[in-house]
Amino acid sequence: MNPGIDFSSRRAREARLGKKIGRQGFIGLAVIGSIFTLVVIIFGIFKSQPPIAGVAGSLALLCFLPAIWWKRYLSVLPPTGNSPAERLSVDVLARLNANMELQSQTVWAALSDHWQARFFTHHLLLNSDLVGEQMGKSAEALEEALSIASGLADEHKTKTIELGFVVAGLLITSPGVQQLLLQHEDHPEDIRAIAGWLGRNLGESSNINTQRKYGGIGRDWAFGFTPLLDKLGDNISLAVSGHGAHFGWLAQSQGVRSIETAFENNAKAIALIGPDGIGKTSNVYALAQRMIQGNTTPSLTYHQIICLNATDITSLAHGQGELEQIMISLVNEAILAKHIMLFFDNAQLFLSDSAGAFNATQILLSIIEAGRVPIILAMAPHDYQSLKTQSQSLAGLLTPVVLQELPEADVMRVLEDTTAGLEYRFQVLIAYEALREAYQLSGRYEQDEAYPGKAIKLLEQAVNHADNKVVNKLSVQHAIEQIYGVRTGNAAPAEAASLLKLEDMIHERMINQTHAVKVVANSLRRARAGVSNPRRPIGSFLFLGPTGVGKTELAKAIAATYFGAETSMIRLDMSEYQQPDDVQRLLSTGVAENKSLLMQIREQPFTVVLLDEIEKAHVNILNLLLQMLDEGQLTDDSGRAASFKDCVIIATSNAGANMIRERIDSGQNLESFSDKFSEELISSGQFKPELLNRFDEMVLFRPLSPDELAQVVNLMLKEVNQTLTHQNISVELTPAAIQKIVEQGNDPRLGARPMRRTLQRAVEDTLAEMILKREAKPGDHVILDAPNLKI
Amino acid sequence: MFIAFFSWWYGRGWQQVVGDFKLRVSNVIDSFSVRQLSKTLFAPWKRIVTQPGRNLEDHLHAAADNAFSRAVGFVVRLGVLFTALIAILVIGLLSIIEIIAWPLLPVAVPGLIIAGLVL
Repeated sequence: MNPGIDFSSRRAREARLGKKIGRQGFIGLAVIGSIFTLVVIIFGIFKSQPPIAGVAGSLALLCFLPAIWWKRYLSVLPPTGNSPAERLSVDVLARLNANMELQSQTVWAALSDHWQARFFTHHLLLNSDLVGEQMGKSAEALEEALSIASGLADEHKTKTIELGFVVAGLLITSPGVQQLLLQHEDHPEDIRAIAGWLGRNLGESSNINTQRKYGGIGRDWAFGFTPLLDKLGDNISLAVSGHGAHFGWLAQSQGVRSIETAFENNAKAIALIGPDGIGKTSNVYALAQRMIQGNTTPSLTYHQIICLNATDITSLAHGQGELEQIMISLVNEAILAKHIMLFFDNAQLFLSDSAGAFNATQILLSIIEAGRVPIILAMAPHDYQSLKTQSQSLAGLLTPVVLQELPEADVMRVLEDTTAGLEYRFQVLIAYEALREAYQLSGRYEQDEAYPGKAIKLLEQAVNHADNKVVNKLSVQHAIEQIYGVRTGNAAPAEAASLLKLEDMIHERMINQTHAVKVVANSLRRARAGVSNPRRPIGSFLFLGPTGVGKTELAKAIAATYFGAETSMIRLDMSEYQQPDDVQRLLSTGVAENKSLLMQIREQPFTVVLLDEIEKAHVNILNLLLQMLDEGQLTDDSGRAASFKDCVIIATSNAGANMIRERIDSGQNLESFSDKFSEELISSGQFKPELLNRFDEMVLFRPLSPDELAQVVNLMLKEVNQTLTHQNISVELTPAAIQKIVEQGNDPRLGARPMRRTLQRAVEDTLAEMILKREAKPGDHVILDAPNLKI
Repeated sequence: MFIAFFSWWYGRGWQQVVGDFKLRVSNVIDSFSVRQLSKTLFAPWKRIVTQPGRNLEDHLHAAADNAFSRAVGFVVRLGVLFTALIAILVIGLLSIIEIIAWPLLPVAVPGLIIAGLVL
């Protein structure tokens, strides 16, 4: 089957000829032609030898004519029709030869060394040879690939089917390559995304000559000097034109268009509203690019944007009066210069009296009212709301342009545009999987910023974790792990081994409760293996049982073994949350010294959240917990979400403790009455069914037997010995001594809880006395028997 | 190959030479800010203006200053526009020569040898 490429066509032959001549041939012809021209000058003018000059002139033309042909035609070879063969770029045609068998594999072999092919293989982290092995050997697959390439060219409105589009077609139509990508946990659709990225880059570079026009030498001659603005402001426009900055997709974005439209509709000043990271400043930079290139609405053509910095202005002035004078001078200068747009980034700094800020509300009001200089005030939504309350008249004069968070496809485009700069700046290769991971992980963990800013920041951080100058998915995961202390991605071998023996590790510090430990360990393993729901907390458990049986201890053990330290725990005593208004205490964001649950979880998202005595909390709080358990997040009073998706949530309760004790005493085991028990808790009104059902597991703890309490004593003794390590003294208890402590410390109502106090009295007090009396010295091993104990 | 060369040279190649002329003129117009300077030909130089005072003398003084500023602006702009005009003329002339000479260049290959021998 013929996939539509005629190798003997004139266009194909011209492409091959062009490749044969190549850039080096062109330079060679030009140099030889110049030498002959020199000969013409010497022999034609100075030596008057027309025959030699004539031959040299002829030879010079014989060099220049093909050089011109190559430069203007053969190296470009414009499309001649609408069929794929007539539209294929010269790069493709020149690499295919007439004797070639028409199949994907041979075409891949011919194209794979071109930079556009490497653009794909590098960003997909694919080995070119391996890809070649996966390519099909049928003409049908090649025809399909060309058809896809043609479609991609149409999508990007280019007549020429670029080599990159053909490569994309080959990769998309190869099942083997798709399989390779899936094995690397990559998305096959990334091929199309990279084709789009490449297409935009090619389109922009072909338009670069027209886009880089900045108005010429006389552009600013009709405008005034701005010495004070130059001193106190940053001229964004000159920075953009000076560095040849290019904002790619952003310069055409809805945000920039909205600002232009607002000014076109005679807005005096614009409030550019959006949360941090949404790109307020970037949009203004992109607008500056359009304006300085004259590629904007006529009223803004060649206007320059000057950004004013509140801190610089305040540092220059002494007192409010001087500040106001400087502001007025700046604005007057902008008015007289006639081509200035003032940009107040972080405008709240000009509208409040806080540190580093000053209140210029009244001056701004009069300036904007006069409407003689276009102004942009960038601010967060809550700052705009504050302005509305603080100065309704000023807020009323502003035309609000609200920047909406970009959809995923647009964020990816911004990330792609950013990637080129990062790759150049840090001399790294950023794989496409890193872009996707940056999008996903920043969305999951960064709640304080909006897209695309948070994804860009994460990608920048990931550059520091590049492996062999390659930034991949793992680099992004390492960056997020470093920033937030969470664990992402697959468990490393050492961690996987620890997870598999999690029960043993927990039992090193906990006696019995094997059922409870197993349930929790299974849940943690599920989360780390990635088989649990990522939109909910890692695990949520309701620990039920009498006091002193190890509920809190198990929570601490999880914090220590899974989250790395016993301190990785946020502990709330729910008996302190019995009033309806206490909901605010959980969600508030304002009181730094008494941090709310939300503030703590934002600081420490990878943690155990222990809710002690949950049955005592007010019903409003319990309703809030339903949301936390269900959606893995809570929202504060300003609408910002805090994620609980990397937490283990443990609620403890003594509810039904007597029931458990009675049933255990009557010889039943925990598993057999678990279901019945929850029904009884619901029927007795102690818990609502919707709350019980939200927990992953309801874990029952049984009272400890005297033998288990003896083991608890041994565990506690280990802690005492650890404390004594620096004194080089160790203590041992005889069985009789342990027995005595268990008898004294065991309280059926309080479980093992009084045990620590008893041990403290019995061992630590006895030992302290011995040390002071010099009966126990460094290097001693002290054995305490029952009669020695001071109980 | 020769057919391909000649068909391009006398077809699309020649058209490109004409197109290049337009592009060059457009670049000169942009580089010398021709549109911008034409629109603001009589505007004060860099907006250096004197605000009129209250009395007649101040008014006259300001008018004279501003007229001077406009005159400076006019002279500088006119100078640049004149330079741009010359550049366009030179480019135009060279382009016309190029357009006329273009079809003759392939013929000149044997022509130059013959001319050399005859002269």
